[in-house]
Amino acid sequence: MKLSLKDPILITVVVALLTLVGNFVGYKIDPITAFPGMLILFLIVIVGLWITKVMPGNLPAVVYVSLLGIVLTMPWFPLGEKVAELTSQVNFLALTTPILGFAGISLGKNLDSFKQNGLKIFVVAIFVFIGTYIGSAIIAQVVLKLTGQI
Amino acid sequence: MSEEKRYLKLHLIVLVLVVIAELIGTKSYKVGPGTIVLLPMLFALLLGLLTGPKFLKIVDMEDMNAAEDLITISVLLLMAKYGTNIGPTLPLIIRSGPALILQEFGNLGTILLGMPFALLLGLRREAIGATFSIAREPNIAIISDMYGLDTPEGRGVMGVYVAGTVFGSIFFGLFAGFAATTLPFHPYALAMASGVGSASMMSAAVGALVEIFPNMAEEITALGAASNLASGADGVYMSIFMALPMCEWIYRKVMGDRAEEVTKG
Repeated sequence: MKLSLKDPILITVVVALLTLVGNFVGYKIDPITAFPGMLILFLIVIVGLWITKVMPGNLPAVVYVSLLGIVLTMPWFPLGEKVAELTSQVNFLALTTPILGFAGISLGKNLDSFKQNGLKIFVVAIFVFIGTYIGSAIIAQVVLKLTGQI
Repeated sequence: MSEEKRYLKLHLIVLVLVVIAELIGTKSYKVGPGTIVLLPMLFALLLGLLTGPKFLKIVDMEDMNAAEDLITISVLLLMAKYGTNIGPTLPLIIRSGPALILQEFGNLGTILLGMPFALLLGLRREAIGATFSIAREPNIAIISDMYGLDTPEGRGVMGVYVAGTVFGSIFFGLFAGFAATTLPFHPYALAMASGVGSASMMSAAVGALVEIFPNMAEEITALGAASNLASGADGVYMSIFMALPMCEWIYRKVMGDRAEEVTKG
């Protein structure tokens, strides 16, 4: 079997390597220290993709991949603490940088429609932020009152 | 150019982008009650845009299409990491009580307030991506996985993401202060509301509250942090199982026959 650069597994490997470089340059964690954690994240993705394929219900892969990450690091899981410690060597922000690099490249295609709607979306952002804050404050206020905590 | 070579080229470009972006590092500027934070990923995004045909012409149309496929797969590593951040915090969230857990549903307020305005402003399917959440990294991953980033939904989530990354902490710092002094909420309720799912936005909001209620500083800080952890933990599942279906439903109701269909399943 010929390994193709288009294979999702190989793409994940390449992105993992890119992240190890960024993790070193930006957060001074050398790739050897970060390697075991990255290997765990890689395996979570591979197993998550497999579960996505065999599970009924057509849920997106992000559901199973993130759930696996949660289960493997819960304190109730025997190796939870160890997995959490190893994966903490891979910085969250270091993982976002290559993704946003790819996103920047692909967004170039839609620059015009982005320009057209960009300002509107910025205005909408303000209402989105106010919405989550007020929404949560109202529910918290009511529940705290009902349970007699305030 | 074969597809293989195209992918290789993209990986090499992104390698260069990542190194430059991380070398620039995080830049933060204090402004009023919050901070403008420019993270390496923002530089990577801008540099990526610069490689396009309108600027440096390093990538062509087909490269840009191929980059889209790479995003869909690379977000999965981020989601794995996201999961490993949540796992250790679960006991604390469960211990925090009903008010804290129930106020999580208030995060759907992004839709109730944002969606009508977005549609009024003339946005169409962009409104779905823009208002289903406060558009942090996991939410980009969800849109990328379910719709693709090269869609109206993708542009919506990216727009709010960039707005939040640059101005989010300042906005929440100001708004929490405003809410504390003018709206009839208990400081504890405001503290819980501050946990919107972004550490920098939560810190700014909590900081403003602590300044106004210094004698409750400890409780406010603890509630804000716990609520932020909870928002992080339930955010993905709330988005997929409640927020996006809600957005799709409202969009169809409001737009009726003019509703545009999803481009990618």
